[in-house]
Amino acid sequence: MEFLNFVLIFITAYLVFRKPEKERLAFRLLVLSVLLMVGLFSMATRTGLLPGVNY
Amino acid sequence: MRRNAIYSILALAVLVLSLVPVGTAVFLLGFVSGDSPCVMCWEQRTGMVLVALTGLFVLRYGPRPKYLGMSVLLGAWGIFMGLRHTGMHAARDVGQGFSLEILGAHTYTWALFIFWVCTVTMGALLMLLKEGETPADPRTLRPLESLAFGVFLVVAAGNVVQAFASTGPPPYMGQSDPIRFSFNPKHWVWSLEEWSPAPVSLRGRWAIEKPGVAGLPADPAAGPLTSLPVLPIREQRTLALPLRGTVTDLGYEQATNRFLVTTQSGVYITDGSLGRVARYTVVDPGFAVDLGRFAGATFLERKVVMAVGENKSYVVLRENDEADAGKNFRFFLESSGTFDEVSRSRLGTVRARMMYTMSVAFDPETRSVYTVTVPNAKVKRLVISRFDRRDLTLSEEFMPALAAESGLRLNGDKRSLDEYYVTGATVDGGRLYAISAAFSTLLAIDLATHNVVEAYAILGLDRPVGLAIKGDDFYIVGEGGALAVVPRPADAAPGARK
Repeated sequence: MEFLNFVLIFITAYLVFRKPEKERLAFRLLVLSVLLMVGLFSMATRTGLLPGVNY
Repeated sequence: MRRNAIYSILALAVLVLSLVPVGTAVFLLGFVSGDSPCVMCWEQRTGMVLVALTGLFVLRYGPRPKYLGMSVLLGAWGIFMGLRHTGMHAARDVGQGFSLEILGAHTYTWALFIFWVCTVTMGALLMLLKEGETPADPRTLRPLESLAFGVFLVVAAGNVVQAFASTGPPPYMGQSDPIRFSFNPKHWVWSLEEWSPAPVSLRGRWAIEKPGVAGLPADPAAGPLTSLPVLPIREQRTLALPLRGTVTDLGYEQATNRFLVTTQSGVYITDGSLGRVARYTVVDPGFAVDLGRFAGATFLERKVVMAVGENKSYVVLRENDEADAGKNFRFFLESSGTFDEVSRSRLGTVRARMMYTMSVAFDPETRSVYTVTVPNAKVKRLVISRFDRRDLTLSEEFMPALAAESGLRLNGDKRSLDEYYVTGATVDGGRLYAISAAFSTLLAIDLATHNVVEAYAILGLDRPVGLAIKGDDFYIVGEGGALAVVPRPADAAPGARK
């Protein structure tokens, strides 16, 4: 899944760099990458979502 | 500041963020040193790349609110990820950690710092912006800004390569314990371990229920030890002391013929018949070190007592008839003029970590303080911890076993001494006596051999929480104030094992 996310990030940066008229698509891809990152991190830490310190 | 200068600073920030943490991680640590990120490191690295990407959006389209908002959200989320990851290793010893170090700090700790720097930088840049800075059309990139795009794309491409080798195509994803990076496909391991069912929790292993005697099975026959001899109760009555709250422990000092009784936050010294309170105070449990609910108390040396919270935090008090009530206001909720607070701190444990205690005992012969764990839903171990009185630092920990010559037997292969729920303890003649509220069982543990040498069933106890020895009798007090006096068996009488 991290591979997929970096592919999305690469495409997004390329769009902003070389095809700036695709701003809306680029931003949607950015949001998708952010959600994917948040989802993957939350999934990996679901057995203890909050920082593991002495509560 | 001129608009172009701000864009130049932003381009430099994107370059630094892309090259230093992320570029170093992928090209130097990854491709050269063979380091592979764990699943959490991957997401933190992704977060840094996304912060840099929002910077590219601003370089191209200007400081639109949605890009600035997204960068702040990413910075905040990154700090959270850094805290979550660093917290896993926060309590380890010096130099211990996970994976590689950079400048003396492990990689995941750098993430916390980097996201913090990103957030501060974004805040500073926002302050430099003026009204009406947002261009209607995409900006034409200057060479430095184009360089930032180019470097970012190279770094992103490097991550695409490493992510494919280390984590694989979807649905494979990063691993908790990654395998060393290699360009050779035969060393690639793609994992679905993170997709396995697992319980969802906020505090994870730190979510330990508070200890208590309610609902514990009282029948000794259902306990882990079989065919225990029964100790009869000689006398039974209810304490008629003016206590604030329910009883949590009992101690006795032979030299002065006085008992020590604790409640949730109260410390009471009574006469030798447990009929009159001679001195008391109610400690402010939340001032400075959180004492929680008192699990137990013991006399230490002359006129000095120690109360230990269920969280193994403690307070040492000295009796003083001339205590300055005004000065002591900060320590006590009631009766500030009867004790002085000597110290307040925490008992640190290793094997007993992540378990609460409901008992404390003091051995004047070795000048040692003992605590005994109570099991919880996550950790079930009967651990006895010894602390040297001089510095109240952990000096020994052990998990008692059954002495071969004791004749004691477990009630099946799956039973264990860890099932006992010790709520009161006292030391006499080199033995630690521990009363378990679960299965109403009294254990005698030899402190030299670490073995349980005797065990007795005591029928008719009501939620026992405290144990003391006075003369030839055990005094066992229940949470509701029920006192049971139990004669000690002949071989457990004072001096029998000296």
